[in-house]
Amino acid sequence: MKERNTMKTTRRRFLAYTGAGGLGLLAAACTPAAPTAPAASTAPAASAKPAARVPAGEIKVAVPVKVPTLDPHGAQSVEDVSHTVLQHVMETLVRRDAASGNLVPGLATEWKNPDPTMWSFTLRTDARFHDGSKVTSADVKGSLERVIALKGALAPQFAQVDSIATPDGSTVQIKTKTPVGTLLANMAMVPIAPAAQVNAEGFFKKPIGSGPFKVLSWSADADLRLEANLDYWGGPPGVKTLVFRYYPEVAPLVTALETGEIDFTWLLAPDQLPGLQRNAQIKVDSVPGWTYYFLWMNSSRQPFTDKRVRQAMAYALDVDKMLKDLLGASAKRATAPIPSTVFGHAPQTPYNYDPSKAKQLLAQAGLPNGFDADVIWNPGSAPQDRELLQAMISYWNAIGVRVKSQEMERAVWIDNLNKLNWDMDLQANAVTTGDADFTLGRLYHSRANRNGYKNPDLDKFLDDAVATVDQDRRKALYAQANKTIWDDAVGIFPAELFNVFAYRKRVTGFVPTATAITSFANLTVQ
Amino acid sequence: MTPYLVRRLALSVFVLWGAVTVVFVAVRLAPGDPAQMMLGTSATAQDVAALQVRLGLDQPMPVQYGRYLLRVARLDLGESLRLNEPAIVAIAERVPQTARLTVLAMVIAVLLSFPMGILAAAGGGKPIDRAISLISLLGQSVPSFWLGIMLILVFARELRLLPSGGADTWQHLVLPATTLALPLVGILTRLIRSGLLDVLREDYIRTARAKGLAARVVMRRHALMNMLIPVVTVMGLQLGQLLGGAVIVESVFAWPGVGRLLLEAISNRDYPLIQAAILVITGGFLLINLLVDLSYSYLDPRIRLA
Repeated sequence: MKERNTMKTTRRRFLAYTGAGGLGLLAAACTPAAPTAPAASTAPAASAKPAARVPAGEIKVAVPVKVPTLDPHGAQSVEDVSHTVLQHVMETLVRRDAASGNLVPGLATEWKNPDPTMWSFTLRTDARFHDGSKVTSADVKGSLERVIALKGALAPQFAQVDSIATPDGSTVQIKTKTPVGTLLANMAMVPIAPAAQVNAEGFFKKPIGSGPFKVLSWSADADLRLEANLDYWGGPPGVKTLVFRYYPEVAPLVTALETGEIDFTWLLAPDQLPGLQRNAQIKVDSVPGWTYYFLWMNSSRQPFTDKRVRQAMAYALDVDKMLKDLLGASAKRATAPIPSTVFGHAPQTPYNYDPSKAKQLLAQAGLPNGFDADVIWNPGSAPQDRELLQAMISYWNAIGVRVKSQEMERAVWIDNLNKLNWDMDLQANAVTTGDADFTLGRLYHSRANRNGYKNPDLDKFLDDAVATVDQDRRKALYAQANKTIWDDAVGIFPAELFNVFAYRKRVTGFVPTATAITSFANLTVQ
Repeated sequence: MTPYLVRRLALSVFVLWGAVTVVFVAVRLAPGDPAQMMLGTSATAQDVAALQVRLGLDQPMPVQYGRYLLRVARLDLGESLRLNEPAIVAIAERVPQTARLTVLAMVIAVLLSFPMGILAAAGGGKPIDRAISLISLLGQSVPSFWLGIMLILVFARELRLLPSGGADTWQHLVLPATTLALPLVGILTRLIRSGLLDVLREDYIRTARAKGLAARVVMRRHALMNMLIPVVTVMGLQLGQLLGGAVIVESVFAWPGVGRLLLEAISNRDYPLIQAAILVITGGFLLINLLVDLSYSYLDPRIRLA
């Protein structure tokens, strides 16, 4: 029982954390579907209002991670769960389409690049905040400036922003010092609040925005209650009230779903799924997500300075068997350093299980008798992490590499991780922005020095990929980056993880999404 | 009495100062850093440094400590790093929830343990005594995370009588309060039983019986009153502990209490919130202790507080 609890927390925390880690990516990404043209990319204006429906009923959602705050601009600016709940209240200029993952119009109807260092957005004119005031370019400027000033996790994504101009009420022009190919995806992470109120004390206790729901009540730890905004420009949502609640332990959460106390949850651990799938009242959906497992080897430390040693570690693992035994239908084998759902992914040749080749590579590297190493990790940062690591250690043992597990509390682990104080590191991460820049650009550049690997060629691919708004060119550059990181075995990338959603069948209209941000605005209940 | 109170309160200020100082130093000596925790694993060293400056964490520790004490002296407990709100607001929201839970648990414990303790003592050595002793031993030794989950399985999942978690209605209180109460029932029952058995052997009890008082009167007026002091002391200590220590039960039942807040603050290295929560919990503990001490002179008029 205890074991399961721990796992649960872990799994959830893992999401929370990876969310925190991953957001930046979004900005960078512009997924494949994003309107790409530097010139006049116009997304289909999302104009057609659905026939006015009358919101009815209530959906209770159990969030996998506690909502720490309703302020999406500061320290929590990349927290998936905050964005998940807040997108119902506040809107962004562009947003991710749930089904395709593409960037589609939100508060902006169109955008273009008059020149490569300028992004010009045209706002829709019928959007109003919950207090009735119109959404204007000044509000966009105010919110973006707040994100930058608070220096939170998203702020570095806007480090290149030079100025924000508002030539008229419905035009926002963001000027950057150099071309920034990820700006559009980054703007999908900036919820717009009324500029006149956003800096007022207590605003985010009960924030207002222009979204399909209004905040009814909230305090950290207690339920967040939202009610339908009947005046929403896109037409009223499907349900009258939307409630978000957090369960710290898995057993009560699963019970609550089974008894109907809650209607919806996601990010459950793999061992919870078979029981839920047998329940006739409950539907389980899963799709590949933006989260992935990786094991880094510190390229600045002996013996991992030798690429052959790193490759040997990869060949030593029977990844398919480990995934089948431990993660079942919750994961699939990764084909690159980032998940296949993310912009910039390019599939590579897998390191197939081959212990004799592994031993041969070790011998060539002058280590015929193997070596000793340790691996740091934070329990709970990924599903089945303990089991996966144990399996890896026994595979490595078979080629003579003796690995010691160093389990750490999260704060201690991050401290060691950032100081490069480790031989190997096991963790999961999310590409929350859906764009390779956030993960590859931030973690593998020599400048970042996050895993001891330094390669000027790779740095150039990564720099060039950010400094262009030509999305096809960006994709080609990331393909090179994928290949370099994979072939040099900077890390081992065993799996991409699925987003698993479980909900009661009375809920209809749900579209499973690869993003870490799930929307409930269009759901209805019977 | 008044000089006594003044002395106790002055002493409390010192205890509080000691507690915040120890916590202030300890959280900063512990590995890990709030800015790193807030920015996550993808942040660069520069991002972390910039946030540290904004949060004032780049200052030397004595400077931070001096500033902190000045603020506390003005009753300003600082701003939670992670919740973006004053720490005191976050705590104030949870104190009533924790209070509801612990007070109800204490009421349940008292209502069960006194009859059980008296019955056991009255039937010293007989089957009823052994049965009650066994039950209280079980209550004291069953781990609360297990008990809580069992109660959820039985009453929420199978019988569907009560909700499994949350804090909306009185029904949400029943399972967590029961889970918290059972170990208390165990401790108090055993304490009451052994206290009564000691007292019942005293000469004045024999005298009371000899002068023809009814057994109930002997029990209530002569025996019970004289063994209450240790019971009240333990109740006070337990209540104080529950203020910050009901973390497991709060987690199992998704109860928004102070314990969970503190635990999360610690894992996030939310320094101001940790310090404020410890300060409030310590203050609560001191207050309860004071009330317990004051109650002594009521329970035993021979005790004079001066």
